Amino acid sequence: MAALDRCYNIADLRAVAQKRLPRGVFEFVDRGSEDEVALRNNRAGFERIRLKHRALVDVSSRSMATTLFGKPISMPMAIAPTGAAGLCWHEGELELAKAAAKAGIPFTLATGAMTSMEKIAEQAGPSAGGRLWFQLYVWKRRDLSHQLIERAKAAGFEALIVTVDTIVPPNREYNDRNGFLLPFYPNLRFTLDIMRHPGWMANVLMKYLTTIGMPRNENYPEPYRTRVTSRDPERAAVMRQDSLSWEDITIFRKMWPGILMLKGINRPDDAVKALEHGVDGIIVSNHGGRNMDSAVATIDALPDIADAVADRATVLLDSGVRRGSDIAKALALGAKAVLTGRVTLYGTAAGGADGAGKAISIIRSELDKTMAYTGCNSVDEITTDIFFGDSQGNQRRDRVGAMA
Amino acid sequence: MSALDRCYSIPDLREAARRRLPRGVFEFVDRASEDEIAVRNNRDAFHKIRLMHRALVDVSGRKTETVLFGKPAALPMVIAPTGAAGLCWHEGESELAKAAAKAGIPFSLSTASMTAMEKIVASGGPAVGGRLWFQLYVWKQRELSHALIERVKQAGFEALIVTVDSPVGPNREYNQRNGFGLPFTPTLRFILDMMRHPLWVQSVLLKYFTTIGMPRHENYPPEYQKSILSGVGSREALRADSLNWDDIKRFRDMWPGPLMLKGINRVDDAVRAVEAGLDGLIVSNHGGRNMDSAVATLDVLPDIAEAVGHRTTLILDSGVRRGSDIVKALALGAKAVLTGRATLYGTAVGGAEGAGKAISLIKSEFDKTMAYTGCRSVDAITADILFGERGANRWRDAAD
Repeated sequence: MAALDRCYNIADLRAVAQKRLPRGVFEFVDRGSEDEVALRNNRAGFERIRLKHRALVDVSSRSMATTLFGKPISMPMAIAPTGAAGLCWHEGELELAKAAAKAGIPFTLATGAMTSMEKIAEQAGPSAGGRLWFQLYVWKRRDLSHQLIERAKAAGFEALIVTVDTIVPPNREYNDRNGFLLPFYPNLRFTLDIMRHPGWMANVLMKYLTTIGMPRNENYPEPYRTRVTSRDPERAAVMRQDSLSWEDITIFRKMWPGILMLKGINRPDDAVKALEHGVDGIIVSNHGGRNMDSAVATIDALPDIADAVADRATVLLDSGVRRGSDIAKALALGAKAVLTGRVTLYGTAAGGADGAGKAISIIRSELDKTMAYTGCNSVDEITTDIFFGDSQGNQRRDRVGAMA
Repeated sequence: MSALDRCYSIPDLREAARRRLPRGVFEFVDRASEDEIAVRNNRDAFHKIRLMHRALVDVSGRKTETVLFGKPAALPMVIAPTGAAGLCWHEGESELAKAAAKAGIPFSLSTASMTAMEKIVASGGPAVGGRLWFQLYVWKQRELSHALIERVKQAGFEALIVTVDSPVGPNREYNQRNGFGLPFTPTLRFILDMMRHPLWVQSVLLKYFTTIGMPRHENYPPEYQKSILSGVGSREALRADSLNWDDIKRFRDMWPGPLMLKGINRVDDAVRAVEAGLDGLIVSNHGGRNMDSAVATLDVLPDIAEAVGHRTTLILDSGVRRGSDIVKALALGAKAVLTGRATLYGTAVGGAEGAGKAISLIKSEFDKTMAYTGCRSVDAITADILFGERGANRWRDAAD
């Protein structure tokens, strides 16, 4: 695919995605919330950290392979759950899952996905060499969420990720302006937008319409598995998340014998509480800067949380990862791996599984080079020793800088 | 109203207001002074503060209500006094007051408003559930100001706010350029400007012409109560550079209700104000519209809160555009904020309905930020939700 061949970094893939997708879809994927302060800060947090390259260490046999929750991965990265993959490409979740399996990294399916979990498990699950995680939004009617957990267990998902940072719907004003809301009702602006993107209309929308009809949230419980165009008011009510509490986590822990993670931890005290509730993993996340616009950058919040957790659980990070060097920085500050959302979605939008694979391989190559420059032969050797400034001082400066 | 329906945030309302208002009026509302450093700093100070969201607290029953001077407010927010509301909409002050009453938050009427205070009491006063505060500019002839205070008391205003940050007229160069100074002298440029905004001319200016004539400062003493076209009584009589603590003592004796100073920037001034028996202090730099080198209000708030926060009601204004800004001000020691431009943009777009829209946008953002940070009540908003050490934050900001 020619467009993909001309992409040398994630920014290039983003530009292709921008051309390919209707504006409403692209902005849904690409943008943040309110004034997009958190979105910018996430990037600034990474860019502020300076690395020192290490001279004259033989790194010719370096490896990015590591283990995550006791199983091997080819690099310290997993695909984040994203709701719009199925709008970036026909059955985009499946494309992403296939790319992840091929690259040897885990894939996370979102509750809001438009491809059913069973289909993902069948085509990109362990039999195809894939590792599958499932992300859970908790509905007001808890019995429906509990059914969904049972369904994910039966489908053979290895890990359950409970998102805890989306208690209220965020202010994504561009979605309102673009007419890109769920339930989806095409306004004139969105209709014109689609008509300016005939490629997307033919390859994504028409493929749904000629097979299953309008895309649906295929993992929703039966009463809510409605078309994305449905305006059932009850649907909004069941999505209310502001009563989610630690008692729910206690129940999920009892129901889910596999790996249990919380996504959206920002505070060390919350991380400690998560440990007390027996979770296996903590994902330091601000939802890619898409929820609370005043949120601290995750790379700034990470060191204190990693200190608080120590070795008692696996700490992961997401929000703002766009380069392989970002992974090295996150690992140095205490994460075991990162999740990528937009990065791999841009790739998916640009070329389905091939595009997602391209995004993974770009990041992979960048991490590999960063390891080589900093003299790290294995991911375990990536510590704050590679940072400019003594590790503690550097951290402090970063933290203070994040405030300024 | 479709223009309002397409506004999803205060920046959207601002943009709609910019289209609606003559440039002279819009810039009077929107801009600041000199190089507009203070107004940028006010916003930057809010953006610099990072919050940590709190996981897994059941916030489904959260409340945005608070208590200000012993009475309930639906939101820790009050409408700031602004002189130009009446140019944003016909009798804009009245519209704003109605919107505030409906939303359950206090409204402050400016000395310089174009609607008489008695009319505001009728349309947005306690009878319709409103809480009314009056802002005082002190004239050189003090007896006129004292008479005004008596008039305010008679009219039934709950609180008196004395503005102490405007001893001299600020350098708002664009006003001169736009021909939009008070006294108002229509230049050719301003006339052309108005002709490009026929809707404004029809719905604002002509409504005044067909009723009261040219808008006037309705709360000025009769001898100064000339149309805004007139220069009489303004410049010299409005000189406030002799205002001092003795005046405040006098006002305290005259005013039994809540008395506030607006425009406190220094810890020593705050301490002195509390000693002078003030009930509330408004940390303000006049929306960045006066001294362009002013420190951002959010940056001086923590020191002032530490010194007097437990002894007085601290309120902050200047730069509030988002609900999260209120959360930050409260976390750093304020009890509430005032909004000036945010609600004026709304008024300019849709009168009371537009002002109500502005309030509800900010309320929704405030509510969401409370939910994200795990705060079930306004009192639960503390420095605990701030990322980083408060001291470090403060000094770093000061050094910047």
